[in-house]
Amino acid sequence: MKTVFINCSPKKRFCASAYFLSMQRLFTGGQTETEKLRTPADHERILEKLRGADAVVLCMPLYVDGVPSHVLRFLEEMEAFCRRNSLHLNVYCVANNGFIEGRQNEPMMQVLEHFCARAGLSWGGGVGIGGGVMLNVTRIMFVVNIGLLVLNSILSFTRDGNFFPAEAWISFAENAALLLFFNLGVLFYLIRMGGHIRRGTFSGKRYTRIMIPSFIFILFADIFFIIISLFEGGLFRGWLAKKPYEASRLSSQGTGKS
Amino acid sequence: MKVIIHDLGSPCTEKVREKYDHVIEADGKYAPCQGCFGCWTKHPAECFMKDRLQQVCRIIGQADELVIVTKNLYGAYSTDIKNVLDRSIGTSTPFSTYRGRQMHHTLRYGKHDLWKVIVWGDITEEEKATFRLMAERNAINDGFQRSEVGFAADPAELEAMI
Repeated sequence: MKTVFINCSPKKRFCASAYFLSMQRLFTGGQTETEKLRTPADHERILEKLRGADAVVLCMPLYVDGVPSHVLRFLEEMEAFCRRNSLHLNVYCVANNGFIEGRQNEPMMQVLEHFCARAGLSWGGGVGIGGGVMLNVTRIMFVVNIGLLVLNSILSFTRDGNFFPAEAWISFAENAALLLFFNLGVLFYLIRMGGHIRRGTFSGKRYTRIMIPSFIFILFADIFFIIISLFEGGLFRGWLAKKPYEASRLSSQGTGKS
Repeated sequence: MKVIIHDLGSPCTEKVREKYDHVIEADGKYAPCQGCFGCWTKHPAECFMKDRLQQVCRIIGQADELVIVTKNLYGAYSTDIKNVLDRSIGTSTPFSTYRGRQMHHTLRYGKHDLWKVIVWGDITEEEKATFRLMAERNAINDGFQRSEVGFAADPAELEAMI
C-alpha cells in the first residue's frame, strides 16, 4: 500500500500541517511519500507521485473557512490528471485551523468531498483540528523540555556525580504528560484514521481540538499575538486602527473605481 | 459602501463600474497568501506582497455590502476569487472574541451589512448546500449581519443578478 502525504501549507518551515502530517504518516505506516505543495512549480512533481498510489492525504490549514487558493489551483489540475490517467485514489484530509473549534473545518471537508466526486476519486474522510497553531507550539515545548532535562542531568553529574536527578526527571515527566494531554484528541483521531487509510476504508469526518477550555485558549492566543506583534513592530504601526485605503499607492494596480 | 469582487473579466468590470463604489476584478494576476500573519503582526491591514491585493483588506473591510460573483468550484469560490479573500484577513485584528457562539477575530472596521454571493457555472445540489454554508460561515467570520447566495442558471440571469 502506498500513501502520498501532501503538506499544503504555504509556509516554508515550522507549520502546523507538517506536525500533523508527520503524526498521520507515523500512524498510517506502509510505503509513504511526502510532498510539499507551495507553488504551481510543485504540481507536476506531486501529480507524478500519485501514479501507483492507493491513497493521498492532504494536510492543510483552513483559510477563510475553506481550502487555500493555492491548493484549489492544484486540485483543479489533480482532477484533470486523475481523470486523464484513470486514477482511483482514496482521498483523506487532515485540516487544521487557528480557532479552537475543529468543527470550523466542516466547509473545507465538504469542498474536498465534492472535489472527489468531480475527479472520480473516493472521499475517505478527514480529521478537522482546532487550535492547530498552539498544538504546533507544544512540539517546540517538548523539545525545550528535553533540552532542559539534558542540561540538568549534565549539571547534576558534574556537581555530585548523579546523572539521573530525580527532581529534573519528575518535572520533565509532568510537563511531557501535560503536553501529551493537550494532544490527546488529535492523537486518537489520527490513529483511528491511520487504520482506515491502511485498510482503504471510509473514515468519516471527525473534529477535535487542543484539550484546553476555550476561554483559556483565547487568552493565550491574544498573548501570543501581542508578543509576536511586539517583536515584529506591528504593535506600534496602528495595530488595531481602521487603516484607510490609499488609492494613490495602487495607481498601477487596477482596483478601485476611478 | 458597495464592493463587488468578480471573476468575469474586464467587460464585466466596465459594466458594473457605475453601480459599485469599488470593483475588484479577480483575474489571478496576484500572488496567493503566504500565511505569515504579517497583515496582523508586522504591517497592520497591509500585505507584504506589493501587488494589486496589497491593501485589499482595507476595501473589503469598509464595505457595507459585499457582492462576490464567482464560478462554482467544488461548492466553493473559484481559485482567483478565493485568492482575493485569503489575502483579506487584515479586515480583522489578531485579537479573538466569540461570534455566533464560536471563536473568531475582532473586527478592525466594525460590523457590515450583507455578504452576497452570486454563483455561476455547473453546480450540483450538494455543492449548492456547501456554498450556502460557506457564505454563512464567511459572513459570521467577517462580521456581516446577513448572507445571501444566488445561483445563476445562464448568462442572462447572471447579468440580471449583478
